[in-house]
Amino acid sequence: MDATPATIRVLIVGAGKGGKALLELFASGPGVEVVGIADINPQASGFSLARNLGIPTSTDALSLIRGSRADLIVDVTGDPAVASLVAKHKPEKAEILGGTSAMLVWKLAQYERDLRDQLIQAEKLASIGTLASGIAHEINNPLYGITGLSDRLETETRPEVVKEYVHDIKQMSRRIADIVQDLNAYARKNSAEDVCDINLNETLEEALKMARRATVVDEVRVTTDFSRLPLIRGNPDELLQVFVNLVMNAVQAMEGKGSLTLSTGSTHGWVIASVKDTGPGIPAHLLGKIFDPFFTTKEQGKGTGLGLHIVRDIVIRCGGRVTVDSAPDKGACFTVKLPLPSEV
Amino acid sequence: MTWGLHTKDTPGMGRILVVDDEEIVRKVLKLTLTEAGYDVVLAEHGGKGIEAIGSDDNAFMVDVIICDIRMPKINGMEAIAFFRQQYPSVPIIVLTGFPDTKMATELFSQGVFDYLVKPMDKDKLLAAVQAAMARRLALTDKN
Repeated sequence: MDATPATIRVLIVGAGKGGKALLELFASGPGVEVVGIADINPQASGFSLARNLGIPTSTDALSLIRGSRADLIVDVTGDPAVASLVAKHKPEKAEILGGTSAMLVWKLAQYERDLRDQLIQAEKLASIGTLASGIAHEINNPLYGITGLSDRLETETRPEVVKEYVHDIKQMSRRIADIVQDLNAYARKNSAEDVCDINLNETLEEALKMARRATVVDEVRVTTDFSRLPLIRGNPDELLQVFVNLVMNAVQAMEGKGSLTLSTGSTHGWVIASVKDTGPGIPAHLLGKIFDPFFTTKEQGKGTGLGLHIVRDIVIRCGGRVTVDSAPDKGACFTVKLPLPSEV
Repeated sequence: MTWGLHTKDTPGMGRILVVDDEEIVRKVLKLTLTEAGYDVVLAEHGGKGIEAIGSDDNAFMVDVIICDIRMPKINGMEAIAFFRQQYPSVPIIVLTGFPDTKMATELFSQGVFDYLVKPMDKDKLLAAVQAAMARRLALTDKN
């Protein structure tokens, strides 16, 4: 038998839940190239993800298998008829992972997916921790207004002044309620299956609002260049997390002073959003590491090192891609490309 | 009027410059401090604070500065560094919405007189201001 190749070329038979879970897992990790995915059902959920990732799909497993250069065929159909066909027509050198073994790998992939869900949530909560100083400031200022004016109301007798203080107190209370509501909405545990139509312009506006809550952005010139966008399908909470991370990174990189440009557009089949800053930029030798887990250049307590890793993870889940363009002293521009719902 | 200050001979309780970007915070501080007998000057950020007291011979008379940290334009840290350098005999009370030990230590090492976390109660504020005024008198007496 040949030595294990550096990159294992895998062909997946079955594009339902199991095949899709494997596809997600293999697409986000190194060392595995998915060379095709087949399913008899043209509506199989793994197909649209595969197409967005540029992976060949087919409803005819045999034609895909015959023409492929796969090192390994993973058959997650659990169908004995499919298993015998695959065994008969596979390329000579290809190995087969099927039956209970394939089921085991599928279960591991699903377990890994659950862990990723938990990591996404953990990163969100940890990032809220790093935003705490800004948010505390946002809450404690109106709170001081409320306590200070309440003190005065205890002895104030002039009706017009009482009315004025009560008005101020109500206004400050509403401000605090808004902040708490936004935070609650952001922190809530979302279900990965919670997918709906999304206008990415609204997601970017929302991310900007969160950033304004968490940090002083008055010194940052914010430009939005939004195009009319077709709706995409995705998990709104996860996509918000992507852009909160990118916007907060940009503001932190500029140390609160500079230009932030958020723009959106669409090309054939894709919606594109970019977050551009005029910060110090990313040195070339770090560009390859910024999406790695636990990689951070921020001082302790200011970052989890998970932000960009999670950004990439979520974007890949949506069948999209995230890229960065940056050079020292030239700022950084992160571009997120998300697929439009495919017409099957 | 020259820079210098509230002394034992100056009428009134003394003048306080309040630098905070939040309108409601400035309002409550002004009401509280005015009622306690102080003359209060307001500035909405560090730059305005610096502008308010000036740095030439006609500089405005201020005895104590109350300054927020997190503000747009010139932030509290920058404004405090300026005040400490230009007017070392004017005590500074820092107001912050978020207690941060590292920042507090740095501020005290820069000579900040006191550090209050919002929302502080009235008595605590007035006690800090009173102590700062006493410090102010002690420093001007020495000169």
